[in-house]
Amino acid sequence: MTTTDDTAVETSVDTTTDIAARKAALRNRLKDKRGSNEAPARAGTAFSIAELREHQPAFRGLEAGHRACQGCGEALGARLVAESAGPDVILTNATGCLEIFTSPWPQSAWRVPWIHSLFENSAAIAAGVEAAMKHLGKSTKVIAQGGDGGTFDIGFQALSGMLERMHNVLYVCYDNEAYMNTGVQRSGSTPHAAATTTSPAGLERMGKRHLKKDLLSIIAAHHIPYAASASVAYPVDLRRKVRRAMEVEGPTFLQVHCPCPLGWGHESSVTVEVARLAVQTGLFPLVEFERGEVAGVMPLRNPKPVTDYLKLQNRFRHLFSNDPRAREEREHLQALADHTIEKFNLRGEEADPLDSEGADTVRRGGLVA
Amino acid sequence: MLVLTRGGYALPGTSTDFKTGTWRTSRPQHQHWAAPCHSACPAGEDAQAYIAQVQENHPREAWETIVTVNPLPSVTGRICPHPCEQACNRGSFDTPLAIHSIERFLGDEARRQGWTYPVDPGRGAGAAVAVVGAGPAGLSAAYHLRRRGYQVTLFDALPEAGGLLRSAIPINRLPRDVLDADITRILGLGIEFRGRTRLGVDVHIDELRSDYRALFLAPGTAKAKAWSVDGAVPTDHRTALELLQEWVAAGSLPTPQSVILHGGGNTALDLCRAMKRAGVKEVHLVTASGLPGPGTEPDDIINVVPRELNQAVEEGITIHPHRTIQRLLFRGSKVVGVEMVALRKLPTKSGRTGRIAFEGTETLLHADMVIPAIGENVEPTGFSTLLGGKEYFRPNNPFGRLDHTPGVFVGGDARGDRGTVSAAIGDGRLAAIAIDAYIRQGDDPEENGRDTIDFAHINLNYFEPAPRVEEPILPVAERTDTAEIDGPLSGAAITREAARCFSCGNCLACDNCWTFCPDNAVIKTTALAKDGSHYVFDYEYCKGCGVCASECPCGYIVMNPE
Repeated sequence: MTTTDDTAVETSVDTTTDIAARKAALRNRLKDKRGSNEAPARAGTAFSIAELREHQPAFRGLEAGHRACQGCGEALGARLVAESAGPDVILTNATGCLEIFTSPWPQSAWRVPWIHSLFENSAAIAAGVEAAMKHLGKSTKVIAQGGDGGTFDIGFQALSGMLERMHNVLYVCYDNEAYMNTGVQRSGSTPHAAATTTSPAGLERMGKRHLKKDLLSIIAAHHIPYAASASVAYPVDLRRKVRRAMEVEGPTFLQVHCPCPLGWGHESSVTVEVARLAVQTGLFPLVEFERGEVAGVMPLRNPKPVTDYLKLQNRFRHLFSNDPRAREEREHLQALADHTIEKFNLRGEEADPLDSEGADTVRRGGLVA
Repeated sequence: MLVLTRGGYALPGTSTDFKTGTWRTSRPQHQHWAAPCHSACPAGEDAQAYIAQVQENHPREAWETIVTVNPLPSVTGRICPHPCEQACNRGSFDTPLAIHSIERFLGDEARRQGWTYPVDPGRGAGAAVAVVGAGPAGLSAAYHLRRRGYQVTLFDALPEAGGLLRSAIPINRLPRDVLDADITRILGLGIEFRGRTRLGVDVHIDELRSDYRALFLAPGTAKAKAWSVDGAVPTDHRTALELLQEWVAAGSLPTPQSVILHGGGNTALDLCRAMKRAGVKEVHLVTASGLPGPGTEPDDIINVVPRELNQAVEEGITIHPHRTIQRLLFRGSKVVGVEMVALRKLPTKSGRTGRIAFEGTETLLHADMVIPAIGENVEPTGFSTLLGGKEYFRPNNPFGRLDHTPGVFVGGDARGDRGTVSAAIGDGRLAAIAIDAYIRQGDDPEENGRDTIDFAHINLNYFEPAPRVEEPILPVAERTDTAEIDGPLSGAAITREAARCFSCGNCLACDNCWTFCPDNAVIKTTALAKDGSHYVFDYEYCKGCGVCASECPCGYIVMNPE
């Protein structure tokens, strides 16, 4: 392949102080980013992959070259969110894996305006950006992003305040159920009985003692126009929810379930499979709230036993030992799933093209639905 | 160019300067497997390939894909026992695809629309090749040789081409206008047909060998196998093929009160049904094979078209599976019945499969007539030297090349190891390839080396159960000797059926790999994807996580170690 400017190994220090020159450089990089599926017309020569990358039929808000682990569910989730939300969008980011792996200075994987400040204030920054946009008379939508640590625990106050003040912001929580960036410590989102470095399985306990915080209900209780959960295993559903949240005026919230191969202890190739089983077992229900009321659920056609989900992950490995507590905890998790299924009435009555089996059906030319 | 910015900012999308592909320990690659339907087809059709074209709403291209291997899809779509459907991976999920219906539809559509065979006979005057026997094998060989630019002369003892398709397949299974139209179209490609020319009588094999560069022999099998039960034969002994051919040609059949047929093929079943319709009250079929069902091994199932078997049972044919005739019962010189005994095909001491009859299971069955339908051998007239006293040619290679006689190739039933129209069509094609290589003094053609993909490679999460289309079938009371029993399906039904295909081992263009790659390392393109898919992997960034391979519905992506 021919070497393009992108691949040349040259370094220089940007000493430009002229704002106009910087803007021009930016424009050069961004030119014609929303290309068509057709490769540029050019006779005789083959196109390089780098050129085709610029002519994909979907907007790429999160570009390749980021430093996420192999099979990262959060990278996939963020890619899908940015793809559906962009390009007219500004993102803020709480501290966490996503912030770290997408912005190794002096590079950025983002192709939309993106800002990081602290662990706790992604929502507050977004609220400020939104107010500024409003002041400038611009309709650019603002998305605040955070992991489960930055959302369930550390940034919760800022998030609650942003929702309460009714800012026109979509908050996306990439929920991988522990503090992965700092080495897999338990968070308010870690499910019951999962082992983390701060809730290890051993003689005293079978992993985390407490339950996963029902954040979505807390968010919905803010009486906001739209709050939903989504999964990387159901990209069509996820994209629809992002677009819905983007078009609603006022604060909206999305909780995206993103498996973490490293933290959960599963093969990098089964990320989507694990995410799908979380939905199909009832452990991670896909629901939509409007003004605090359940407005829609993805029905489960044939709820699977939770062990199908648990046995793929080392963080639940201790639940398959001979210890009698292991059996008890497995039953406990099954009871939690059953409770969720009952609470949201997830059990589908008949086969539905939008249920847990039908929503990912493919056909030639793309996904159905 | 890597730009070190002065402040805490970075330019958009600059992460592409960092090639994460260096992390990879295994790489995803497209692997085009053979679909089970393709591997199972004796004619060599790639059903997955043409069903994909039907899905894309390109029926003409789909038909062209079929006729590059089989020029008679409207015939095989009707009468082939479709082993492709037995092999179909969808059968392990809900029900196999109705591949035969799609094939038949495309063949019929080609005739309706007047699509011309994608053959360019104007490649100059190639060498002259003679084909003996205008049945499915001969027609197929003639067609494939013509496609390669050869001058083909097709000989047959009968006045019209078609072989068994014309002389022995009931009209209600294969309407003659369908057959005539297809044969006319094939011969119209510039194949010279010489009917009423019997080898050994009107023309001799040595003449042919000196007049033509190569010879393809597909005389079929016309000489009934010797049949007797412990040396006894009925006084009114007639074979099933003889009776069937008489009925197809003249419409006449003997009509005793009751009849027993002995055999387990389509000839036997066709004659059973014809006799039942002609007024025979009791028709029994005694066969050593089993009926399809949970307890029957696939190679033990009676070798007939499955829906024909259902229709025969509907019409009141009594089938005695896993039985053979051990003794004929006579009153004076007239047969009045048989003694049956249960048997199974079992492995014997020598390691080969043998038929073992079980003592103590004998039963009597009374009937006015007993007809053998146990198969035929090659009629040796004209071939006696080549046959060397054997019953079949039995070439030792798939191309039908006779090692002791250069330039002479054999195919179809006369090989001795075939039994279906599709296999005969496949023989014709393979022989044409080998004859081409022989005349050009090239190497033997290579066989398709692709491995067959199995059910475990299909990701079922991405497919929904859907009912199989069934063609409309005439009710028993309305069935006659002439009206076609299996009706046609609409284009809409065919499109719906084609949509059920798993696309085993080939790209479905479903976007899954492109959608699920966490690293944007799958690029959607038709410009670069030369392997027929719509995607390329960008190995500069692919980290080798394997998500695309796990989530490919069709098993088309495999991870190979770096």
